[in-house]
Amino acid sequence: MDFMNTVKAALVTAALVLPVLPQTGLASSGGPPLPQEDWSFKGIFGQFDQAALKRGAKVTIEVCLGCHSIKYIKFDHLRQFGFTEAEVSEMAGGAGLTKQDKLVSGLAPADAKESFGLVPPDLSLMTKARKGYEDYTFAILTGYLTEEDTALVDAAKEDGTLSPEEITKLASALHMDPHHPEKIDEAVKRIANGDHFNKYFPGNFLAMPAPLSAGAVTYADGTEATVKQLAKDVTTFLAWAAEPTQTERKSTGHKVILYLIVLTAMLYAVKRRIWARVHH
Amino acid sequence: MVTQQDDNRRDFLILATSAVGAVGVAGAVWPFIRSWSPSADVLAQATTEVNLSNIQEGQMITVPWQGKPVFILHRSPDQIAAAKKDDAETMRQPEKDADRVKDEKWLVVLALCTHLGCVPQPVGTGDYGGFLCPCHGSHYDTSGRIRKGPAPENLPVPHHEFKDANTLVIGKAVG
Amino acid sequence: MFKGIMEWVDERLPVTELIKSQATEYPTPKNLNYWWNFGSLALFVLIIQLVTGIFLAMHYKPDAALAFDSVEHIMRDVNWGWLLRYLHANGATAFFVMIYIHILRGMYYGSHRKPREILWWFGVIIFFALMGTAFMGYVLPWGQMSYWGAAVITNLVSALPVVGQDLVVWVWGGFAVGDPTLNRFFALHFLLPFVVFGLVILHMWALHAVHSNNPDGIDLEEKDTIPFHPYFTIKDLYGVGVFLIVFCAFVFYNPNFFLEPDNYIQADPMKTPAHIVPEWYFLPFYAVLRSIDFLGTMSKLVGVIAMGAAIAILFILPFLDRSPVRSFRYRPISRALFWIFVVDCFVLGWVGYNPADATVFGGMPIIYVGRTATAIYFSYFALLWLVTALKVEKPQPVPKSL
Repeated sequence: MDFMNTVKAALVTAALVLPVLPQTGLASSGGPPLPQEDWSFKGIFGQFDQAALKRGAKVTIEVCLGCHSIKYIKFDHLRQFGFTEAEVSEMAGGAGLTKQDKLVSGLAPADAKESFGLVPPDLSLMTKARKGYEDYTFAILTGYLTEEDTALVDAAKEDGTLSPEEITKLASALHMDPHHPEKIDEAVKRIANGDHFNKYFPGNFLAMPAPLSAGAVTYADGTEATVKQLAKDVTTFLAWAAEPTQTERKSTGHKVILYLIVLTAMLYAVKRRIWARVHH
Repeated sequence: MVTQQDDNRRDFLILATSAVGAVGVAGAVWPFIRSWSPSADVLAQATTEVNLSNIQEGQMITVPWQGKPVFILHRSPDQIAAAKKDDAETMRQPEKDADRVKDEKWLVVLALCTHLGCVPQPVGTGDYGGFLCPCHGSHYDTSGRIRKGPAPENLPVPHHEFKDANTLVIGKAVG
Repeated sequence: MFKGIMEWVDERLPVTELIKSQATEYPTPKNLNYWWNFGSLALFVLIIQLVTGIFLAMHYKPDAALAFDSVEHIMRDVNWGWLLRYLHANGATAFFVMIYIHILRGMYYGSHRKPREILWWFGVIIFFALMGTAFMGYVLPWGQMSYWGAAVITNLVSALPVVGQDLVVWVWGGFAVGDPTLNRFFALHFLLPFVVFGLVILHMWALHAVHSNNPDGIDLEEKDTIPFHPYFTIKDLYGVGVFLIVFCAFVFYNPNFFLEPDNYIQADPMKTPAHIVPEWYFLPFYAVLRSIDFLGTMSKLVGVIAMGAAIAILFILPFLDRSPVRSFRYRPISRALFWIFVVDCFVLGWVGYNPADATVFGGMPIIYVGRTATAIYFSYFALLWLVTALKVEKPQPVPKSL
């Protein structure tokens, strides 16, 4: 019966470890490994960083809302993490809306289709709807070519052909496979053509131009608005928007699990007591 | 009647475990009960904001508030005078007109007849120049008070406030 | 007072007698191990699913234009709606975990053997009904995986010769999966759990007619049994406690672990996700379906038949096993075959999860793994029959009583 015990041990381990892993799923993202950030809201004791949420809401409304909607969130919902009613009304007014309105883009879907060839996806569930979750959202926001990357690409396309060193350098900068130089070559050509390259997007080219640039917004709390900071705040806000109830979910969970452990321990004691009467 | 000794029942451990278990069952039932209460999006509709600038004197509009019709009447001096004059009349549910309005120019009443819940007809109907309920002929005056017919009470006045000169807020915010 | 009422009732309907004979004093083998907890746990999960499902149905809208939004309405606006939905979604997973362990326990200890064949058959029918219920339930949120999962699975019907094409249009109520499909799936998803509940009652009736098997697989004397209450009521309750700890850890801390991110994108009939997979509990059977790809135009039909056969073969399992001994505890060859079978099911699941054209182990198409694993899956049943019918296996000595 040793094998049976191994099976039991494996089952018990899986049952105890799987649920408390950070919010991951059976799905992994494929593609290049995503940058790993420390998210305030991750893990079973994770809580949203309120300051990051307020900054993220500002960036999202001033930048993202230009093209994307967040249809499951109303301006009024933003009061849940510390904005006052006046602030919420002001933000809504800035977008030509009222506080009871949803975060709807001013860009009409039909116009978007004409300009970009597709309707920008709604962002309400973005961090839940892609493999890699918030890490993927953050990766996309920061995965556009940096100045150094652009310089490298410009240098490479000067002479028309790519040398092996250039291939190696480009592969590492663009997170592409060095064993497929023809793909790198094609990417360089498309970048020169003005297409939008992203290191983490499957297929590397997407309709959305780099949405964030340093200093795109001025933070009320004086935080420096680097691209990374903006991306992190937007991602935090979108993670909240995808599931505003997750703070409540975790805190309820602590109480429930604690209760169940006590109850189960008591049930075990009763079970021992009653079964003591049975003679094997 | 349980008089004989029963090991199980008298066992403190089993009693305590049962009690803890019962608390858990009660706790588990709570979310199900609460799931019937008005949801967040419904609660957000607890108030209705109305723009008053387009309602001419002597005219009225019907607005939905919490899923029910509300009459907002911009009363003319004649209608105000008629309502005040009748304050002294004997009525089924005596109320002064002044107690039913926040600003005498504006009458805000829940437009459901207190008889059996029909929506009365617009202002200027019935024997008192107010509202006539078509179902069973209840007559309300220009203050929304019941004057004739089978209805037992005046049309209720919902909580309302004037946010500014042209904006009326009906209802109280919840949550 | 209470006694008086019970006497009055008992004269008309012998409730006390029923409870005594079928529950409290029902004789149960005293050597049952914890693998026997999974039957009552499956029933417990069925109740969770019924209750949460009924309450979810009070807020859900079975309309292709509204379904996705109504699920988010439940998640965001309905009081405790997120809890109801996560309990229900993870409950489906829990149900299959319980059922799979329950079935494997039966297979290992010979619980399907004479005289428990009918008991076993009800179990297999329940398993079929559950798969249908789970499949239709997964369509309801109307996400991308819901939609394309429904498209792929309903298309299996079209494999039937002659009538297939007409039949699939009938199932859809249109020319593709759409609003009519969603609406009927909702009605059936609501109905089927009650059918399952009825089947569970028949399953228990059959059980109580022949009584529980036990780890030794022997027929027990009365001295080896103990009354169900309090011994197994408390043991089952303890099992429920342990189960709930693990279950709630998923529900509260990692509720999307078993869900596909693509299902948080609203269904789009114009665009298939890059890689569609069924829910994990269908993966082994999905792998069997895809493994049959070498028969040209017949592949589709044979694949569907193979997938159905992979489950339906459980019906004849009681007659395939010819050994005089029920429990694999005393049957070394059967035991080895069993564990190979279990590992093989995991391999099939892994194959089913990967894209059909994936390569593994440095260049080998995964389809070869799938075909091999499918062959091993069916071989288990053939070998179990051969080994026992030809008396290749020499069982170890079995105790006469406990």
